[in-house]
Amino acid sequence: MITQPHLDMQHIVKSFPGVQALRGVQLQAWAGEAMALMGANGAGKSTLMNVLGGVIRADDGEIRIGSKAVTLRSPLDATANGIAFVHQEMALLPTMTVAENMHITRFPTRGGLINGKVMEARCNKVLSRLGCGFSPRTRVQDLSTGDRQMVEIARALLSEPSIILFDEPTSSLTSREKARLFDVIRALKQEGVTIIYITHFIDEIFQICERVTVLRGGETVGAGALKDFTPDQIVQLMIGDLDVEQREHRAVKTDTPALRVNGLTRDGVLNNISFTLHEGEILGLWGLLGSGRSETVRSVIGLDPLDSGTIELRVNGALKTVRPSEAQRHIGMITEDRRGEGLLLPMSVKNNLSLANLRQLLTQLGLVRERDEATLAQQFVDKLNIVTPNLRQPVRTLSGGNQQKVVVGRWLELNPPIFFMDEPTRGLDVGAKAEIRNIIFQLAEQRAAVLVISSEIEEMMALCDRYLVINRGQIVKELPGNASKNELMAAAAGAASEGMRA
Amino acid sequence: MTTEKLTGYSAAPPRKAHDATQGEALSSRLIRAIPIVVLVIVAIFLVFGVPNFFTQRNITNVLVQAAPLAIMAIGMTFVMITGGIDLSIPSIMAFSAIMGNLAVRDLGVHWSVGCIVMLIAALLLGFINGYAVAYLKMIPFVVTLAMMTVVTGASVWITNSVSLAAMPEAFFDVVLYRLQLIEGIPIPVIIPFTLLVAIIAIVVIRGSIFGRWLYAVGTNVRAARVSGIPTQRVIFSTYLISGLCAGIAAIILAARLGSASANMGPDGMVLDIVSSVVVGGVSIYGGVGGPLGAVFGALIIQIIGNSLNLLEVSYYTTLIIKGFVIVAFVAFDSLGRRRGNG
Amino acid sequence: MSAISAPTTAPATGQQIRNVLLKYGFVIVLVVIFLYLSLATPNFFGLANLMGLLHAAAPLAVIASGLALVVFTGKLDISVGSIALLSVTIGALLLVRYGVHPLLCVLVILAIGAGVGAVNGFLIAALKINPLIVTLGMMLALRGLALQISEGRFITLPDDIRTLGSAQIGPVFVDVLIALGVLAVVHVIHTRTPFGRRLMAIGNGEDVAAGLGVRVNRLTFMTYVISGLLASFGGILSAIQVGTVSAFLGDGLEFTAVSVIVIGGISLFGGAGSILPGLLLGVLLLEMIRNGLTHLGASPYSYRLVNGIIIFVAMYADSLKSRVQTRLKVKRDG
Repeated sequence: MITQPHLDMQHIVKSFPGVQALRGVQLQAWAGEAMALMGANGAGKSTLMNVLGGVIRADDGEIRIGSKAVTLRSPLDATANGIAFVHQEMALLPTMTVAENMHITRFPTRGGLINGKVMEARCNKVLSRLGCGFSPRTRVQDLSTGDRQMVEIARALLSEPSIILFDEPTSSLTSREKARLFDVIRALKQEGVTIIYITHFIDEIFQICERVTVLRGGETVGAGALKDFTPDQIVQLMIGDLDVEQREHRAVKTDTPALRVNGLTRDGVLNNISFTLHEGEILGLWGLLGSGRSETVRSVIGLDPLDSGTIELRVNGALKTVRPSEAQRHIGMITEDRRGEGLLLPMSVKNNLSLANLRQLLTQLGLVRERDEATLAQQFVDKLNIVTPNLRQPVRTLSGGNQQKVVVGRWLELNPPIFFMDEPTRGLDVGAKAEIRNIIFQLAEQRAAVLVISSEIEEMMALCDRYLVINRGQIVKELPGNASKNELMAAAAGAASEGMRA
Repeated sequence: MTTEKLTGYSAAPPRKAHDATQGEALSSRLIRAIPIVVLVIVAIFLVFGVPNFFTQRNITNVLVQAAPLAIMAIGMTFVMITGGIDLSIPSIMAFSAIMGNLAVRDLGVHWSVGCIVMLIAALLLGFINGYAVAYLKMIPFVVTLAMMTVVTGASVWITNSVSLAAMPEAFFDVVLYRLQLIEGIPIPVIIPFTLLVAIIAIVVIRGSIFGRWLYAVGTNVRAARVSGIPTQRVIFSTYLISGLCAGIAAIILAARLGSASANMGPDGMVLDIVSSVVVGGVSIYGGVGGPLGAVFGALIIQIIGNSLNLLEVSYYTTLIIKGFVIVAFVAFDSLGRRRGNG
Repeated sequence: MSAISAPTTAPATGQQIRNVLLKYGFVIVLVVIFLYLSLATPNFFGLANLMGLLHAAAPLAVIASGLALVVFTGKLDISVGSIALLSVTIGALLLVRYGVHPLLCVLVILAIGAGVGAVNGFLIAALKINPLIVTLGMMLALRGLALQISEGRFITLPDDIRTLGSAQIGPVFVDVLIALGVLAVVHVIHTRTPFGRRLMAIGNGEDVAAGLGVRVNRLTFMTYVISGLLASFGGILSAIQVGTVSAFLGDGLEFTAVSVIVIGGISLFGGAGSILPGLLLGVLLLEMIRNGLTHLGASPYSYRLVNGIIIFVAMYADSLKSRVQTRLKVKRDG
């Protein structure tokens, strides 16, 4: 007897200006089962879930729940159709109690006043179902992350959903909390709820899910029962099939350290990170999403705090211990979030390009030499092939790929001895990616030290002289530049499936 | 992305992620230009409808009256470009004027030293504002509101509500000196001086690295930080600058009024400053506008105030009009911004 | 199913002490100042004086409680003083010059208060104009209007109204009881109604609240209406106490009200604080200081200065508190 899927999403298409996030995705999930939704960053997972959660509307496609076609225009529609979304960033009200958080839109009242007893009773019922021991009167801000998540789930359960989406639920949990979460999910499955589980931890899906769907580039590239897949196969589906590009670049890596960090630690995020970055080297920080890659580089230059650790920078021929704020002046940082932290959107291409380099373009009085600034900016526009009618164009009007080139260009202008690049070619087409790669090679050839973070294995393999594999805030392995694709994937999957150390 | 609760520094760039075309930017600018156009038309009407406006005496008067307002508006512009606000400027101005007079009266110093005392007092208060906002991360609106109250209270207390007229004749002779550039038309030196301040401000904001930093911080403080801009220092210095401008305005106003008192900077003045700045195209959300607009705005506000006065409209009614004007301007600013950014 | 209950690590002792201080700091300060004033001056600690203190505090308490609801959502309303002045001015004129029945005047006053509040609310919630600018502009415009209408002159209230203003039941003034009643009602609204709880939700995070389905705009609008309403009500209490309506009514009131709110532990960032006991304590502390300063022989002008310093300190504590909370939260998320 073939059972029908409780949730059936067919041919879901969604475009945003400049990018097509979903190109006809399929997802089917059955009641009483957990479906793992896998995919690299940008593959379309979040967009798909937002469509299901009613946060955004798909351009095309059909969604059926329990064999009934539904339209989801808003989160309220989603709730009305029995869909509950437990977000990664918990939508909780910290200063308020658990009970209030759970009932904020549906307080039980008597005579206009909140009926505290009924509210508490309802809470207790759900909370005990989840095995939670804390009182509904506890303020959410006093709860641990794991408990807070339980509150989110409890709130979701109040509406008696038939489908629950979990978005990266275990990123901040201890192992005990994770075990509890899995118990809860198993119990929910037994009650016939359909679970959709999004995570990048491959070991987890084998523990808790029955099926898997893998997205890549906005399409479903694989789906089926988990027992038919190995972890490596899943990683391969996620990361892509590939011809590794022939390297046109001879490694010029020297042994001269440009940067050395020791024991970088931040409670709960980074654990004793140490490495050395050499002049002329392209070092890859390799690991899956959430492993602490961005946090590492950000804390070196002071964008994120550090609890302990030292940073040594090569200044005037010798390594000198510096504070992050000083390190920032010698390191060019291309952040992951170019819209939030990279660009000044309403400002011109020229101004964005010169932003980090203004100190070099001053007259004695501190005024900017506009003509030199424009010439220099034009050079980089040409060099990077930035498509813009002129330098005065507000950066906001450029396409995503060109915007990214502006960010890269800004740091190229400053020309520091060290570069940190966090997903430098994300959103760029193949040609642009190659251009940026060549620039990275050139930088290395000019003896700059480059640290690259990327989720695309082809790119890492084409670029890196050496890899540091990171997982859960710790460097777990080092691989040489000639490591094979399989070794790299195994390292990423393996690190992930080695489970928690905490 | 958070909508604002209180005026603070933007933590994120404008909302929507889609690329706007140039057309949208234009429509947002048009919307924000509407109230300015209206105001200019009103000003012109007033100017022609008011008897005695186009006398040399009145015009000089208007310009001289507008001078301290323009200078304080320039100070406010620096703060607002970065997305902050400084409500304490007029009170700092009054306080410094009082301090200067006290120094001359009780310490017997030369009037030039008295002027320096005024500037220093103003800078010190600006320092406190800047420190609280930039380093202690307090909300600019409330900090400067508190400062405004404290400083006014201090002014009232120190002077016992009595005005001080301790400056010697020489002081007035210098500050109120009139240049005889053209036959028969004496120009108070205050006017070219204010122009000079304006020019310096324009050069700094449009042409210097500091100016670039101001706009960067006001547009996207996180991106500015990533790009290596010392954002805290930048924000801090804007309050120093507004303090300094208050000090300069104190000197001018003390000379014009002949004395210093606690109500040199009445409540309405803060609104005048904000109006001038907003009329001049500076957005309270930061990242837009410049001192030229602020000066222009100050002029318009002054003309309107002056004309209303000549038309014998009561002080109170003027307050009502001013209140209305500023709400309207900010409304259009808000509307234009939201349209332009999706 | 496993039952894992307790939250993880407890905060370090240093943090704990700090938290206690921040939480109870003002109560401690209140007690200390009370003792000091009682001991240092002959007349402070006397029934008459203390009753008078409460009497003076009553209008402020009423106005501040309305404002507190706005602050709970993370916004401000600095037009409350001018709302009080305008509404009471019109009401007083109706009474004195046109012989309108007092009860009708009261209704008109309250209607004006609520009406102005509605305008504020509309501009802020519907048109999304910056609340600070709106209420700043309103503050000055309304004051101008009120002074225009009264031509800057005093309006003396008839004797029978004035006696109402000093009505007492035993040693306690009636308006103190009224104020306590208002505080209690607002407190209940704040803590025990969905409306009040949702205000706190908005203060916690407007976007989060909106995402959860809270009708942010409508609720925000209502807080401004209530703020205006209570401002005018407080204005009535103030006017009948003094016996005249003058430009002094409500002067600087917005600032005092904000001080009282911050001192009372209500965060200007929204989402935290209480009416009882928080706001009540704040009002008492401030009035105590004002009263005490008079007894200590300090110049009446110094009051504004002291007030300003207090608010600075209170705001600093507020911003510290909010930063400590965020820090703790981040640590926990490990």
